[in-house]
Amino acid sequence: MSLEYPRRNAVLAPAALGAGGLLVCWLLSRRKIKTLAMGDGWWGSGERPPREKEDETIQCFQIETSDREIQELHQRLDQARYIPPLEGAAFQYGFNSTYLQRVVAYWRNQFDWRKQLEILNQYPHFKTTIEGIEVHFVHVKPSRVPKGQAARPLLMVHGWPGSFYEFYKIIPLLTDPAGQGLNEDVVFEVICPSIPGYGFSEAPHQQGFDTLAAARIFHKLMQRLGFQEFYVQGGDWGSRITTNMAQMLPKSVKGLHLNFIFITSGGLGMLVSLLLGAYVPWLVGLTREDSRRLFPYFEKNVYDLLRETGYLHIQATKPDTAGCALNDSPVGLAAYILEKFSTWTDKSFRNMDNGGLERKFSLDDLLTHVMIYWVTSSIVSSMRFYKENVSKNPNAAPDARVGVYVPTGLAAFPQELAHTPRSWAKKKFKNIVTYSYMPRGGHFAAFEEPELLAQDIRQLVKKVEHL
Amino acid sequence: MFLEIFLTLALGTIVYLFFSRKKEETLPIEEGWWGKGQKPDSEEDATVRPFKVETTEAELNDLFRRLDQTRFTEPLEDSYFHYGFNSVYLREVVSYWRNQFNWKKQVEVLNKFPQFKTKIEGLDVHFVHVKPPSLPEGRSAKPLLMVHGWPGSVYEFYKIIPLLTDPASHGLSDEHIFEVICPSIPGYGFSEASHKKGFNSVSAAGIFYKLMLRLGFNEFYAQGGDWGWLICTNLAQIAPNHVKGLHLNMVSVTNMRFTQLLSILLGRYFPGLFGFQDEDVRRMFPFLKKGPYMILMESGYAHIQATKPDTAGCGLNDSPVGLAAYILEKFSTWTEPEFRKLEDGGLERKYSLDDLLTNVMLYWVSGCMVSAMRFYKENIGKGIGTQKHEKLSVRVPTGIASFPNELLHTPRSWAQQKYVNIISFNFMPRGGHFAAFEEPELLAIDIQQFVGKVEKKEVWKEKGK
Repeated sequence: MSLEYPRRNAVLAPAALGAGGLLVCWLLSRRKIKTLAMGDGWWGSGERPPREKEDETIQCFQIETSDREIQELHQRLDQARYIPPLEGAAFQYGFNSTYLQRVVAYWRNQFDWRKQLEILNQYPHFKTTIEGIEVHFVHVKPSRVPKGQAARPLLMVHGWPGSFYEFYKIIPLLTDPAGQGLNEDVVFEVICPSIPGYGFSEAPHQQGFDTLAAARIFHKLMQRLGFQEFYVQGGDWGSRITTNMAQMLPKSVKGLHLNFIFITSGGLGMLVSLLLGAYVPWLVGLTREDSRRLFPYFEKNVYDLLRETGYLHIQATKPDTAGCALNDSPVGLAAYILEKFSTWTDKSFRNMDNGGLERKFSLDDLLTHVMIYWVTSSIVSSMRFYKENVSKNPNAAPDARVGVYVPTGLAAFPQELAHTPRSWAKKKFKNIVTYSYMPRGGHFAAFEEPELLAQDIRQLVKKVEHL
Repeated sequence: MFLEIFLTLALGTIVYLFFSRKKEETLPIEEGWWGKGQKPDSEEDATVRPFKVETTEAELNDLFRRLDQTRFTEPLEDSYFHYGFNSVYLREVVSYWRNQFNWKKQVEVLNKFPQFKTKIEGLDVHFVHVKPPSLPEGRSAKPLLMVHGWPGSVYEFYKIIPLLTDPASHGLSDEHIFEVICPSIPGYGFSEASHKKGFNSVSAAGIFYKLMLRLGFNEFYAQGGDWGWLICTNLAQIAPNHVKGLHLNMVSVTNMRFTQLLSILLGRYFPGLFGFQDEDVRRMFPFLKKGPYMILMESGYAHIQATKPDTAGCGLNDSPVGLAAYILEKFSTWTEPEFRKLEDGGLERKYSLDDLLTNVMLYWVSGCMVSAMRFYKENIGKGIGTQKHEKLSVRVPTGIASFPNELLHTPRSWAQQKYVNIISFNFMPRGGHFAAFEEPELLAIDIQQFVGKVEKKEVWKEKGK
């Protein structure tokens, strides 16, 4: 009985302190920094050479293969060991192994890697050393530019488990609109780098390579290519990297286009809009479409995210363990990567025996993605990026408290993993010029719906340039 | 008059027993069928067949070929085991595996204990069954069911079995001699994997219950850690009258009550208030670092296995080195979290490579990693705290051995919320998650003292009657 009194106080005191603390934190956080510091880095092996100036030459690069590489792949495909799926499991337990065997049979017998390399090499590739590591990129200039215009430089950054190859369908729509049936009032020259640790870009040898480092390296790349002002576009990691670029050097970024929006915290406003949004969306800054995509909140956002973020959790904590087998078993690698191309394109694909994979993509295209990870042995380093970027406290990360002031265009695709309404995005993106609800498409926007995405990018640029 | 008194007492006892039995919450035993296709009309074959682990040249050659063609990725500089299994050390392990590890010899080691298989609910269940080599006159062996977890196997018990079946030869008291039964959870090792969705810990408990009955044991003790903890707990919930005592080396409480939350906030300052001992405080606080942060850092595997087991296991079933890295990372971190700061993960400080690789081989030769991972989805895929058995208490006499390096510490006061009849709770001086494998003597002694307490209570109850 005598425990009641001190126990009650013991609850009230910390509660009051907590509320006071929250108020102070909230007041402090409103004082925002204007730009992100650029910093510097060195990612090569061992110590940074003291006085050596970095070799800034840009070398041409062609992707090559050998008979041995193909034979070795075939041998591993032939020795793959499969476990039958549970009865009626479809894609609910992950990649269905019955369908996987069909994919592997195609890979072994019909997929032609040499032919795919010709497709990959149709655009010019280059490499250059920045901060101690070799950075790979594709650089496509328009074949012809209409009089009175200049090709606008556009940097497009991929994510995981994607690659520069995701942009191969959209590049012609941007560099050669006339040839694709579009108006040639806006023409681009496109640069698609590989994030260090992905594909043909060398992986960092030091710890700490995060999106800020990638953003700075890409700034240096654009400067090295002679561009002082350019547009940037990205989804997945590309979204965060290009956002960081806009936060670091706003005067260089004419416009920022994103098909995926990272927000770390929404604060009180977001909470209120969640509680009331299902009933009075207009009161809390949500549109009907927002409402349709967000609610029922728990099911769509909490449960679904929990269901789909196992990979993120293990990659953010034990990337070397998670990637080990995948760098040794091409079949395991394919299952892991292609599961995302299924579920992140359309969540209902989980209920299909074949994961709906070939509804939006061809096996040739999908396997080319997998091959890029396979031939470069980059799966482990690509996973390490998660650990480097997911920090203990997302709200304390340097880029969480810096706003984005460059003209921004946001494309919200309906099957994206999580929906971010304009009213929430506004807290971080202070200068949203366009916000579009796309009629269809999922996470891999450029790969799946290149025309829709190209249209939205062009729309942003026209608005920015008052065309 | 005495007759009236006697009849009243008898009636009273009957009524009391009737009502008290109603108060006992039991988990219903579910009849399952996990085999391929439709359940056949014919009666299941209940014979128990002897089993021996075998290997072939082809199996070994295939393994060697894969080991020889492994593609490693260099670790980041100075990353030790912070990013997972360090591949520089992994190369050393693989080199040993390829050139010194003798699987044929290890198969003989595995076969030194009698093994069997029997069909239950459509699945071939594998188990080790060891009887004591000799029994003093007038004594009988106490049946003890020991259940492993992930990424372990029956092999985890190979060191502790002799201490329990033949304690005298190992310098231990022979007051209690056991006959030990170690089954492989269906989907693990040589037990057939379920073909149907939904095979969870309660299903496994039901199968092990039938196994013990089939072997002729009406009453037995149950011991477990990791999944074994949950399966044995469920066993005590579905068949409390058959489980004489439940011994656990790991306890996890999923139903957090208000008092528990409060104890997290204030337990460090007012330990006595919440039933915390000094050792509890030492192990649990600072709470954020040792609790939620530790869980987040170390539960990635559980998250992906509980959601996409078929994807996660695919590569592991195809790359033995990948499989070894994935499994052995746990034998490092779960034995001692500080091992993450070592270049070799401290793996060989407590275990021999022969023992570690034998466990890995059990997953490799049986191809069971995918089905083993599915167990996570079936148990926690819908969320922790959502299953019926998580809300039911356990009334069977319980003994808990609390090892210091277990990932999460559960104090007695928390465990008591669920295990209402804890008769033994001991802080172990050393050891981590794989208690039987790492500290067989400590665990054997604790099991013995627990059984001693149970039997004393029984004798006292008998005398009381």
